[in-house]
Amino acid sequence: MQLSCIPEGPLKIILILTALLFGPALTFAQSNSLKSPNISADALFLYRQSNFSKEDFEDSSPRNGLDLQEAELAFYADVDPYSRLNLLLSVHPDYEYLAATHRIKQTWGVEPEELFVESGHVAGVTLRLGKFKAAFGKHGLLHTHAYPFVDAPLINSSLLGAEGLNDVGASAAVLIPLSWYSELTLQYLRGEGENYEFHSPTPGDGVGVGHWKNLWDLCDSTTVEVGASYARGNNDLGGVTTLSGGDLTFKWRPLSGGRYRSGILAFEYIDRAQQQLGAGTERGAGLSSWVQFQFAERWTAKLRYETLKVTGSDAGVNTEHSLANALSAKTTAALQFDATEFSFFRLEYERLHGPAQSNGLANENKIYLQANFTIGAHPAHSY
Amino acid sequence: MKIFLLFFMLAAHAELKVVTTTADLEALVTAVAGGKVKIDAIARGTQDPHSIEAKPSFMVKMRNADLVIAHGLELEAAWVVPLIQGSRNPKLAVGGKGFLELGDKLDPIEIPKGGVTRAEGDVHPGGNPHFTLDPLRLGKAAGLVAERLGELDTANRELFKKNAAVFHNRLAEKTKDWKTRLEKTKIKQIVTYHKTLNYFLDRFGIQNPIQLEPRPGIPPTAAHLMEVVETMKKNQVRLVLVENLYDAKAGEKVIGDVPGAKVARVPVSVGGEPEIKTNEQLLEKLVKTIEENSH
Repeated sequence: MQLSCIPEGPLKIILILTALLFGPALTFAQSNSLKSPNISADALFLYRQSNFSKEDFEDSSPRNGLDLQEAELAFYADVDPYSRLNLLLSVHPDYEYLAATHRIKQTWGVEPEELFVESGHVAGVTLRLGKFKAAFGKHGLLHTHAYPFVDAPLINSSLLGAEGLNDVGASAAVLIPLSWYSELTLQYLRGEGENYEFHSPTPGDGVGVGHWKNLWDLCDSTTVEVGASYARGNNDLGGVTTLSGGDLTFKWRPLSGGRYRSGILAFEYIDRAQQQLGAGTERGAGLSSWVQFQFAERWTAKLRYETLKVTGSDAGVNTEHSLANALSAKTTAALQFDATEFSFFRLEYERLHGPAQSNGLANENKIYLQANFTIGAHPAHSY
Repeated sequence: MKIFLLFFMLAAHAELKVVTTTADLEALVTAVAGGKVKIDAIARGTQDPHSIEAKPSFMVKMRNADLVIAHGLELEAAWVVPLIQGSRNPKLAVGGKGFLELGDKLDPIEIPKGGVTRAEGDVHPGGNPHFTLDPLRLGKAAGLVAERLGELDTANRELFKKNAAVFHNRLAEKTKDWKTRLEKTKIKQIVTYHKTLNYFLDRFGIQNPIQLEPRPGIPPTAAHLMEVVETMKKNQVRLVLVENLYDAKAGEKVIGDVPGAKVARVPVSVGGEPEIKTNEQLLEKLVKTIEENSH
């Protein structure tokens, strides 16, 4: 752009700023065709056997037997030199409990799990606009097929909702100029997503989310990641929901023999304070900790222990959205076989001790057999 | 005003920062740059470059880089793009001067004919990406690197060109010597674990009739190893080279069933063994290993 011929003044300043913002774009072509974006499909199949039947929950929990847990269709490509677009469609079964007949009705849903435009127009910053998983915590950013275990941790499924924090909004992630990896993400969500935790009945009530992620190389084979998260917004119970969280992850993969050995040790803590009109503040907090060890090229063993404590709940006021006052604990053990990087099989056992369900039982024992298959150009998962 | 002028003068003469995806390319750029460029590498010589994890600390390395140099041909496809995106460095956008992939400019071998599917394993549609084990292609790559460095640092353009020419000529000379030595071994065929060594073998007229892995990226199976044994017996292959990224057990199992056969683990990248610091030392090590196991 030739700016020397433009007279001094606001117009020149605007043009210079425009050139700075839109000149050095950061987009990345991967698809070899301009006519089609990168496309991938992922299918998760699940066999479940639990001492709780579907009817014991009267909600959307998976049922015993074989099912298609979820399928994902992902499309992504550069829009132009300035931005790239990501679309992730989720195909999943929905269950409806029919009280009159005491039966479960299954339907199928297709919805945009994520649909956003991302840009690296400004050096050091990634800007995002659209519907996306909010940058709260570590597990909450994962798609279902990237979960280390079949289920999300208790703290995620109970405190952030079945779908996690996912809403339409804007995001800016800044790489702070420090000698280690330090990323600060600030997000504004409209507060009208699928989560009652942040679904204000008043239009315009937004949700603020902040996430600070730091990672250090302890040595060439080992990293430690420390993250802190915070979110605050109005809920649909007439009050304010505040979320705070922290995560700590150690990863190890030796420089020599890293194809055959690796390990992960991870902890995540989430605390939710949820004001409820006429019922005080419900407090839920818990810790999820898990360890994973790859003992052969294709084999990995995993173990998870997690707790969740809920206090101050008045389930009589908001029966739909209140958790029961209780201390829950869950232990999970899994064995995973990765045939290739595009398919895996997982055998998992879970034991959950929590509040008694409608069948009167407080202990649930589950066995899962899960299989995952991916085709096409799937976007890379974050480290 | 003077302070600003000084700042811009310093910025204009700032040392170029280059990040290479592998230690082989780091050694190549070191030879061409002649101390005028700050160089950092992602993958170490003992790591499999196909499956490097996109650690955020690598994004920090790329954050201030002027240039990223990669093998290309999809060797680093799974991790280099997320790293560049995560670096938030606009200089490194694909199609710009800050990103250079070399493989497709060096007449790649083993380009699949027709369509490829993942049923064939981890096949690279653009051809075999392990060109750094061919001394002559490496010499040509030095020229490409010098050209790009010269575009980004015009003051040192001639120095880069001169260094590249010296590097190219040195490897061309060494290639004649290595060819003579390898011909004396009378080894015509070698089995490897993966197709990592095929550029090297191809340059010196040695065939690689079968690999220990049944398909690229798929671990050896008992049935396939039986096929390897049969092929070795039929073709009178007496040497198995296992790249030291992989477990040597499959190679050891195979030579147990082929009378007179030997197996050796070899580094396939600079830094693959602690004393290997240059591309020439790596190639010399490969030649020497074949010589030592030819009797």
